[in-house]
Amino acid sequence: MGAALVARYLLRRSLGWLFMIVVATNVTYFLANFFLDPRANYLQLRPPRTPEQISRSLAQYNLGRDIPLLDRWWHWFSDIVVHWNWGYSPVGESVNSQISFRVGVSAQLMLGSLILSTLIGIGLAVYTAARQYRFADRFYQGLSIITLNVPVVVASLAVVLLAITFNQSVGSTWLFVAGAQSPTVTGFWPLLADRVRHLILPTISLTVITYAGYHLLQRSLLLDNINSDYVRLARAKGLTRQAAIRRHGLRTSLIPVATTVAFAIPALFTGAVITETIFAWQGMGQYFYQTISKNDIHGAVAVAAFGALMTAISAILADIAVVALDPRVRVS
Amino acid sequence: MTTNLPPLQPTVGHLDTAPSLTEERVVHRGQRLSRRRLYTRRFLRNRGAVAGLVILALLILFAIAGPMLASYTYTDVDFTNLTSAPSSQHWFGTNGTGNDTFAQTTHGLQRSMIIGVVVSALTTVIAAFVGAAAAYLGGTAEKAILGIVHFLLVVPSFLLLALISQKAGGDWKVLILVLTAIGWVYGARVVWSLATSLREREYVQAARFMGVSSLRIVLRHLIPNIGSLLIVSFTLGVVATVQAETGLSYLGFGVKQPDVSLGSLLGDGAATITSAPWLFYFPATMLTLLTVSMALIGDGLRDALDPMSYSVGRA
Repeated sequence: MGAALVARYLLRRSLGWLFMIVVATNVTYFLANFFLDPRANYLQLRPPRTPEQISRSLAQYNLGRDIPLLDRWWHWFSDIVVHWNWGYSPVGESVNSQISFRVGVSAQLMLGSLILSTLIGIGLAVYTAARQYRFADRFYQGLSIITLNVPVVVASLAVVLLAITFNQSVGSTWLFVAGAQSPTVTGFWPLLADRVRHLILPTISLTVITYAGYHLLQRSLLLDNINSDYVRLARAKGLTRQAAIRRHGLRTSLIPVATTVAFAIPALFTGAVITETIFAWQGMGQYFYQTISKNDIHGAVAVAAFGALMTAISAILADIAVVALDPRVRVS
Repeated sequence: MTTNLPPLQPTVGHLDTAPSLTEERVVHRGQRLSRRRLYTRRFLRNRGAVAGLVILALLILFAIAGPMLASYTYTDVDFTNLTSAPSSQHWFGTNGTGNDTFAQTTHGLQRSMIIGVVVSALTTVIAAFVGAAAAYLGGTAEKAILGIVHFLLVVPSFLLLALISQKAGGDWKVLILVLTAIGWVYGARVVWSLATSLREREYVQAARFMGVSSLRIVLRHLIPNIGSLLIVSFTLGVVATVQAETGLSYLGFGVKQPDVSLGSLLGDGAATITSAPWLFYFPATMLTLLTVSMALIGDGLRDALDPMSYSVGRA
């Protein structure tokens, strides 16, 4: 299998995904136009605006209802293709600047919890698979079944409640419940420390709800492999049981878990809606919530496009991971 | 070739004796179990699953009997008790507008359960039919169905859910429709991948050559053979639906005032989590018990129905 073949395969897959993203984004544009009406935002304003005033102010952001939908669509679509401009919210904020700022904020939150939950999940799986049906295995499995199924809202709010209790017992606000950083802190090290203190709680609540999936999946895969010939051979060569499981059993059973982790990335970016809302974290998830509740058509469509792009990237990443980890797979 | 064919005209006597033969065998072996008894035995051996079943039964009882026991309905407002802690008058306390939290929790639990069960049942049926039909029909039909499925997987479903149910104005019946319309996609993909291996089996081929219609083959030969998967995915689908409904209602995109679900109750309770924690504790406990018990039952069913699984002992 030559590198050129892999490149061609990836190119073909990418083109297919690109097509899907373009179609999905355009469909979302029409759906959003159908379900969201930015005029509603102006109705509560005082002094009240006349319908003409409202349509005039919306028209400058390409949201005017009296312009035919297809014209608006063409304007919106050509602006993206030609200028990479994703439009404006009903009050004139640029979608581009919102997204570029929020992706970074979400990434901070996402990376930490992704790494932590993967490590904890796989680590626990190796530990419990080696002790199948003993107390430790049953205990951690029970724990994982509970944390996997606790609703996100409940888990996040419980973390908030615990943190507030902790802060009260310490006597100062050591753990921050809201936001990504304090506005008054300056200097590199104080800023870093401040950010970490803001990160702790949302990272914990995201990790708690995601690690269990990796634990349970990896455990059952490991158990399928643990009695296979090559693990027994490794034991016969003189490796300890732990080392044989880690080096030989784990390696082959990592593949499906790697795929799952890759596919979890888009879910974390746009799926952390509730976590970001609860912890007042100005990331993509919160943007998603805001765009819909504020009738921001262009923003909502951009979030959808971003979500679709993340799905595509993780699907391709998952393909690469499988090829890299599994010597039996040939690209076709 | 000809020797392998069964006799063209089975005699009447043959048909009569056949059932009695099998009956005899069952009686002789003694310990041979009917399939249902085997599954029940395997399920009951799993302590977690039994605990889940008991919790679920209690929750259902609570959701049905609770509103009868309470002296308030979920819309009643008690102006003399605003945000008061649990007491003998208001067992679970009241919220800021004076609604009785006990009445609201039982009603919300009912709402969440109905939405979860109905949506999961509908999505399982649709997923089974669409997935199996795509696999059986093959060719252009299969390509078209898979194209739609893959496309819907790319579209951020939570966004669509929020968009549509935002417009629906908090009606739970519309929420059921929307959750169903979006929820069947992944299941259909799974069913399709399983059914593609089934369609090559001899009994499917035999049925086809006998002239059985496509619809009948899908309904009578393909779907029953992935039945155990469907039962498990139904229970786990309830968990997923309840989670999705809670998330939507929490954000204010799902069930809305004056109706309540556990998610919208949590949304109300979140703001006052330190000053009035009972508004969080009671709905959160019910919700967690509901999802965890369903998940335990689903796991138990999977182990009981899976012939390869020995995690609950043999037989």
